[in-house]
Amino acid sequence: MNIPSNVGKSTLLAMCIFWIINFTKDISMDLAGFALLSAIPIFICVSLVIIITICPVFWFLKKDNVSNYAIAKKYFPYYIIVMFALCLMGIITSRSDVYSISFFITVFITTAQSWVWFAKENRI
Amino acid sequence: MKQAIIILSSLLFSTLFYSQNIGLNLSIFSILTLIVLLISNTNKFKNKATIIYALLYLVTAAIVFFQHTTLSIITNCVVFFTLIGSITEAKSSIFVNWLNGVYTTVAGFFHRSFHFNEKEAKPILKKDIDFLHWIKLIGIPLVFIIVFILLYKNGNSVFNDLISQINLKFINMQWILFSVLGYFLFSNIINPVEVEHATKLDLETGNSLSKGTIFSEEDLKKEKQLGTTLMLLLNVLIVFYLVTDIIAISTSATSNAETLSNQVHNGINALIASIVIAIVIILYFFRGNLNFYKDNKALKILAFTWIILNAVLVILIAFKNNIYVSSFGFTYKRVGVYIYLLLTFIGLVTTFIKVLKVKNLLFLFRVNTQIAFVILMLCSTINWDYQITHYNINYAQSVDLSYLINLSNNNASLLKTYNDKNTLGSKNYNRINNKHTNFIQLLEDRSWQEYTYENLKETNNSKTHNY
Repeated sequence: MNIPSNVGKSTLLAMCIFWIINFTKDISMDLAGFALLSAIPIFICVSLVIIITICPVFWFLKKDNVSNYAIAKKYFPYYIIVMFALCLMGIITSRSDVYSISFFITVFITTAQSWVWFAKENRI
Repeated sequence: MKQAIIILSSLLFSTLFYSQNIGLNLSIFSILTLIVLLISNTNKFKNKATIIYALLYLVTAAIVFFQHTTLSIITNCVVFFTLIGSITEAKSSIFVNWLNGVYTTVAGFFHRSFHFNEKEAKPILKKDIDFLHWIKLIGIPLVFIIVFILLYKNGNSVFNDLISQINLKFINMQWILFSVLGYFLFSNIINPVEVEHATKLDLETGNSLSKGTIFSEEDLKKEKQLGTTLMLLLNVLIVFYLVTDIIAISTSATSNAETLSNQVHNGINALIASIVIAIVIILYFFRGNLNFYKDNKALKILAFTWIILNAVLVILIAFKNNIYVSSFGFTYKRVGVYIYLLLTFIGLVTTFIKVLKVKNLLFLFRVNTQIAFVILMLCSTINWDYQITHYNINYAQSVDLSYLINLSNNNASLLKTYNDKNTLGSKNYNRINNKHTNFIQLLEDRSWQEYTYENLKETNNSKTHNY
């Protein structure tokens, strides 16, 4: 499993989604600085989520003759449904604030895409 | 062709839902979804179950327009997931349909990315357009150009002036993002996917129990003895409880709301515990080979008796709730008690059938989820706020007006009529009038996407008054 590559790609993806949604509300020079700086907390969040919630599925449930693809095919649906429910709950409880909406949409899409990248690693 | 349908649907999705409340838009969306599914999955609509779910989806879309209750909106969403799941695999159980429906709706796009990986090794005869490449080609330079424009703006006043003259305010970025959401949704559902593991397991598992390979007569005898003793004692206990309960009901003529409320709620709590434990115990003893043990007749009779006695307990609680409702009217909690009692009664009947016909746990789950779905459908056809208000003001011995005023606007016209015909206190009179005025204002402020049947009714009323 190539975790550093996955975390790197996921961080970029998360940054793009998060700021694209936020820039639809207000584009200003002040936010551009924040957008660049946000790479650090986004990297930390992405790393933690991937290492704590996705990697253990592959570490503990993967057997010698099972590919990443097979693991993802079996467990991804349950993971993503739970993640969707949590993100939806987050959006509802945050009373539709744009920052919260962009955060939860970013979490949902990034985690899903992260699974896809892990599944596409050609290892048996 | 598919891409054109998805793009058109996503634009319609934005037009219907962007900055709008639920109303006519959800009904139109349901029809649009059905058309999209019909075009892209024509073969799947030859199945009887799928056709039924499609019709139910249309019915719930109409109910949303006519009733406009939260329950009708929830039911519409549940039927939407069921329909999508049914298109994925028509033969699977309803709860697997829900799982497949939710999975398709939220992650169909990502699922297909997995399958792309599986097919990578196979020769590709016709290469599709590489959307990811095009997104990168346009998106990445665009993001960097915007970032650098924002940076350069502060460095050069002429450049800043030129950039400031560009006015892109006519573009609503949030509307565009909403369309992207619509695109994501329609691209997910246009080609439904399945949770393979769960669907396969469901299709492979039947409803009947089969005899296990290890069949120890000695162990089964011990288990039967334990079960018989336990069931016998529980039967004695529940008979004692029922007798005392009947005596309590027949001797006390309670008119106090608090006492009645306590009686019903305590009864419900006892019922919840009793039924859950009853079903768990029955399922434990009849989980395997005890079903095929030749001397299990006594245990089965005791289990049936216990189920019947629990059903009597349900009827007693319903009777108490009935007294409560006829005195103090309906509330959502009291309606909820009736629905809970109905579900419990059905649960007991299906447990009875499970033991009688030697069915497995999955049978119980399949049948109960299907019945829950039907009850949800039936409940969504009722405008509860209106019906609760109608019953309380016409038949209840005492009316809690404050409770009725706090319900949704679905009862505003009814309360207004009641207010006009009766002499109420000034506080309630004003509150009802305010509620009605706000409701009429709300109807007038609605855009066409938010229209409901109430809009048509009010338009007709105002025309009648004008004449």
